[in-house]
Formats: sequence, structure tokens, C-alpha cells
Amino acid sequence: MVPVGDKSSTGSSSAPYAGGVDHNPKERLKECCRKLVAFMCTQVGVGGLVVGYAVVGAFCFIQIEGQANDTQQNAVIALRQNCSVGVWNATSKYNVFHRNNWTVQVGDALLHFEKKLALIVKKGYDGKTTQETWSFSAALMFSLSIFTMNGYGNVVPKTPLGKAATVVYAVFGIPLYVLYFRNMGKVLAQTFRWLYTWVYQCSMEDKVGGGDLYNQQLPQKSRVIVPSTACLWVLVAYVATGTVTFATLEDWSYMDSTFFCVTSLCKIGIENFVPVGSVKDTAGVDHSMKLIIKFVYLLLGMGIIAMCFDLMREDVQVRVRNLKMDIGLCFEDIRLRAVAVYRRRNSFD
Amino acid sequence: MERKRSGRRYYNKRKKTWTQQCKDYLRQFIAFLFSNIGIICLVVGYTIAGAFMFIFIESAPGNSQGIIDLVTANRTGTVARLWDLTCCSTYYEDDWRTEVQMHLRSFQSHVIEAVRNFSYEGASKEMERWTFSGSFLYSLSVITTIGYGNVTPRTLLGKLATILYAIVGMPLFLLYLSNIGDILAKSFKWIYAKCCLCRSCKKRRKRMLALQRKEQWKMDMRDLKLNTGVLTEGEESDDEGTTDGSSSLSFNDTQEVTVPISLCLTIMVGYISGGAVLFSKWEDWEFFDGSYFCFISLSTIGFGDFVPGSKITGTANGSGSIQVSFILCSMYLMLGMALIAMCFNLMQQDVVMKIRTCTDILRRITRCKN
Repeated sequence: MVPVGDKSSTGSSSAPYAGGVDHNPKERLKECCRKLVAFMCTQVGVGGLVVGYAVVGAFCFIQIEGQANDTQQNAVIALRQNCSVGVWNATSKYNVFHRNNWTVQVGDALLHFEKKLALIVKKGYDGKTTQETWSFSAALMFSLSIFTMNGYGNVVPKTPLGKAATVVYAVFGIPLYVLYFRNMGKVLAQTFRWLYTWVYQCSMEDKVGGGDLYNQQLPQKSRVIVPSTACLWVLVAYVATGTVTFATLEDWSYMDSTFFCVTSLCKIGIENFVPVGSVKDTAGVDHSMKLIIKFVYLLLGMGIIAMCFDLMREDVQVRVRNLKMDIGLCFEDIRLRAVAVYRRRNSFD
Repeated sequence: MERKRSGRRYYNKRKKTWTQQCKDYLRQFIAFLFSNIGIICLVVGYTIAGAFMFIFIESAPGNSQGIIDLVTANRTGTVARLWDLTCCSTYYEDDWRTEVQMHLRSFQSHVIEAVRNFSYEGASKEMERWTFSGSFLYSLSVITTIGYGNVTPRTLLGKLATILYAIVGMPLFLLYLSNIGDILAKSFKWIYAKCCLCRSCKKRRKRMLALQRKEQWKMDMRDLKLNTGVLTEGEESDDEGTTDGSSSLSFNDTQEVTVPISLCLTIMVGYISGGAVLFSKWEDWEFFDGSYFCFISLSTIGFGDFVPGSKITGTANGSGSIQVSFILCSMYLMLGMALIAMCFNLMQQDVVMKIRTCTDILRRITRCKN
């Protein structure tokens, strides 16, 4: 889904190179076709593979975990029964004439219930049945959170089989995801560099006024390096977009939304807001739509982060090289001056 | 005459190199201290500072009292509603039961929300999620990007602090990983070359001999070239070249060895199962759960359904063993991440080597055909 958008830009960027090599139009067309096919196979293929892997994983986890009978749910139901029996006992003991005694006893029963319940919740119970927990969108989010190494933890496997499946899924999924990450980063970096070069040249042409610059364009193209501030701006813009989107979609505050975006994109994945509000009060279709938006946002965001990594590394390398050269020149200068001074003194002597 | 001079010079040079070597070693040692020990200290110090910061921000007094009050108010409200139900509205037991169930269910969902989202620990318990150890684990999980999510910041300031903390901390931890992973990889390779390759000493010696012969040939060639050029300087540089060559040769030989992938995998599996045994002892988990936890943590997924501090954060009675287990746990995590980085480093080298030999073979085959 994602790489399709980049196809046109990369294709057009590769066209001049192909033209430079071959002048025969037939050869050129062939070259273009080959490149397109290769691109489809690598980028789109890897993207499709990742999405497909996530979907397959979602179905597998629904199959494995959906059938598990819910011991915690049963325990909670038994607790509730106990509590209502307690209330009934209090009623039969004190009737309705001793309001104070009745209140104290019922309060105790509720307190007991609450303590036990808190223990069960701390062990991972979240008040939902397995069918409710393992809806398709939740399972999709779960498999995504496994292989992106986010691990939100709002939905976790409870059966031993599910845990083993998680481990195996992660073992195969993480390398696949890393491949996607690298690929996506490279493609996006190329596109972004091309865009940046184009904009840069346009602005330069406006300043200088064409003519002489036209001859220098080709060598300039390879030399332009995207500064890391531009990457940072892209990242900030992406996070801001996500913040606004999620704030309007999920009715979070802006701070919560930013927190979610940053922790997700950094792969920290603190669960926090993922399950709470949205599951309760929204209908199925809307909810799954939101989750799919999140899915796309996360996958694209990881690609953009990879891109920024790529570009920034290049920028930093160039800067370090320049710095080294400067320092070398500086030392050379100092040495020359020292030699000159020494010679002058010698000549005075 | 010529020979004598050269011998004396050689002696002088050797002495000089010996002291130089000492100096070099010292310099290297100091650099090692500053770069690696320094970075470990930096990471640990950063985590400790983060722990104190989060304690300071998150455990503001009104923060925890509010949620306790809320739950208590809800409880008394439920009791009042039940009283209304019992005394006034319903007179049949079945109706009464269903109504009570309904009220209890709403109470239950409220408690669940309080426990899950506001880290309420049940009535009459001290709500101390932000103890030092819990907070330390939180900041560690942020900078390692594990993100267990069992302890989350609730205040606005806490969230902002987490974001900033992560932005600064993650590059630091990445630096730590690459540095320590590199060192571990080098030392592991050295050990592997010393221990495991001794059995095939004959092969190795043969290869060494071949290498040396090649080197010698190169030297001769250079010698020839240099002799035609400037005489004395050429001799000197040649002398240096041989000593350098021999020392770098032995070093290179240990570093050129690639550790097979299976060994790396074995190490990882062994580390995970070792961790599983340790955690099953400390935290009373089953072995399977322990290994599941280790895998999820070391792959930085970090669901947070099992958390090393369930004892730590749950009952902070401040006994010594808990502190020890907590320290060991964080050490396990930090060492494990470095070990994983090392294994990936080694595996990558192995794979690259294999691919290179494959392409070499392919190229040779195609050339033969042509």
C-alpha cells in the first residue's frame, strides 16, 4: 500500500539516468520496464509480505487464543456470586431495620470483593471475554506490535500454545520487518533526496537565473546532501500530524496523543491509551477503521524514521570529514607558521 | 661493519619499541576505561538519575490519594444503591439478585479501570508503584525501548519528561550497545580462535605458512622497489614493516576467524534458558513463563504481562533479597542486550563471508565456462 505512492517519483528520478546511458528508445523502454518490475518485486513485494504476514498472524492468534476457556473470567464470576451471597446473608441477618449494621457488613463484602478482584486484574484480567479481546483488529494490532518490537501489552496471549506461537512468530517476523525497514528507508531516502535536490535547484535557479548553472546541474545533483535539520523537521511534522489525527479520532488530549506517537515510533510502546477509551464506546466498524489507520501510520512512520537515519548518517559523515579536513588544515597552518617563525629567528641569530 | 651497525640499531629499536609498547598498552587501557567503562557508567548513571526524576515527578502526594478517594466513594455509593434496592424497590428474590448482579458488575468495571489505568493496588494497600526499583526499571525500559508498560506516567509533566528522556537516552543506549557488542564480539572471537581452532592446528599452520609466504613475497617486492629508490630510508621502513606485519598478522588471524551461526544461536538460546532458570527461582514463575519473559524482553518487545518487579513493585517491604534480585535483573537485561548485539555482529560477519565465498566460486565457475 505504502510503496505505491513512491513508485512514480522514483521512476521519474531514474528516467534521466537511463536516458544518459542508452539513446535507443527501445532499449530505454526495456530498461524502464525492468526497473519497474524489480522495484515491484523488492519494495512492493516486501511491503506486501509484511502486511500479509501481519494478517496471517492475526488469524493464527485468533484461532489459537480465541478458543481458550477463560479461567480468570470464571474466577471473577464466582467472586461476584460470592459477593452477592454475602449481601443476601447480610439482608437476611439484619433485615431492613438495622441500616447501619447492614451497611457495614455489605461494605465489608464489597471491600473483600474489590481486593480479590484487584489481585486478578493485576495478573492480567481486563474485564473482557476472549471473544471480545481477540477481535480481528486487536489481533492485527497484536501481531504488528510483535514484529515491530513495540509490544503494547494491552492484548497478550494467555495459553502456553499462544506464548510459544508468539515466540516463533517473533523469530520469523523480526528479520522480515528489519528487511522492510531497511528497504523502505532506502527508497524513501532516495525519494526525499531527489525532492530536496529538485527544490534546492529551483531555489538556486531563482537566485542566480539559469544560464550558466545549467552546465553544473549534473554534478551538483549527486553532491547535494540533505541537512539533518530537514530530516528533523520531517520527523516533527510527522509526529505533529499523528498527534492531530489521533487527538481528533480518539478524543485524547494533545499531550496523550503526542506521547502515544513518540513512544510508538521509538518502539517503546507503553500501552497506556491503546485499549481504554476506544474499545468501550465505539461500534465495531469505526473501531477497526481507527486501528487500520494506526497500523498504516505506524508502518509508514517506521519507514520515515529509517529514512531519516539514512540521511542523517550521510550528513554526519560528511560533516565529520569536513571537520577532520579543517582540523588537518589548521594544524598544517600552525606548523607552517611555527616553521616560519623558527627560520626567521635562526636567520636573526 | 654494516651488519654490526644494523644489529645495534635493531637492538636500540627493540628497546624503544618495548617501552613504546608499554606506553601503547597503557594508553589503550586508559582509552578502554574511558570509552567502555565510561559509557557503562554513563548509562547506569543516566538510568538512576531518570529513576529519581520520575519518582520526584510522579509521586506527588495528591496524585495517589485522589484515586483512592474515588474508589472509596464509588464503594459507598454502591452500598447506598444496594440499600435502596433492598429496603424499598424490589420484593422478589430473583429480581433482587439480578439487580444486585448488575450493580456489582458496574462496580467491578470501575475497579478494573482503576487498577489498570491508575495503578490502584486494592484497598488499604500503599500505592507505591514509583518506588526506587520500580522507577529504575521504568527508566531502563524506556531507554532500552522495551517499554513494559506496567508502570506508566500519569501526569502531564511525567509524559513530557518521558519523551525527552527517551530522545536523549536512546542514542546513548545505542552507543552502549554498539560499543559493548563490538568488544564482546572481538573477545569472543579471540577466545573461539584460541580454544576451538586448536584441534585443526595443522590446517591453521599451513594457512599461516601460506600467508607468511605471501607476505614475504610482498616484502621482497617492496624491498626491490625501495632498494632502487632511496637506500637508507627504505631499509628503515622495511624493518618497521616486518615487525608491524608479523604483529598484525597474528592479530588479524584471530580476528579473521568467523564464528559459525549455530554457535551464536546456541549462545542466545543458552542465555535465554539460563535467564529462565534464574527468574523461575526469583519470581516463582514456571520455566516456560520465564523463558517467554526472557525472549520478550531481550527482543525488546516487552508486553509487560510478566514483569520482573511483580514482587518488587507489589510488596515493597524493603527486604534485602528483593533489592538484590532487582539489581541482578537489570544487569541481566543490560548484559543480554549487549550479548544479542554481539551475536548479531558475529552472525552478520559470518553471513557476509559466506556470501563472498559463494560469489567467488560462482565467478570462477562462470569464468571456467567462458
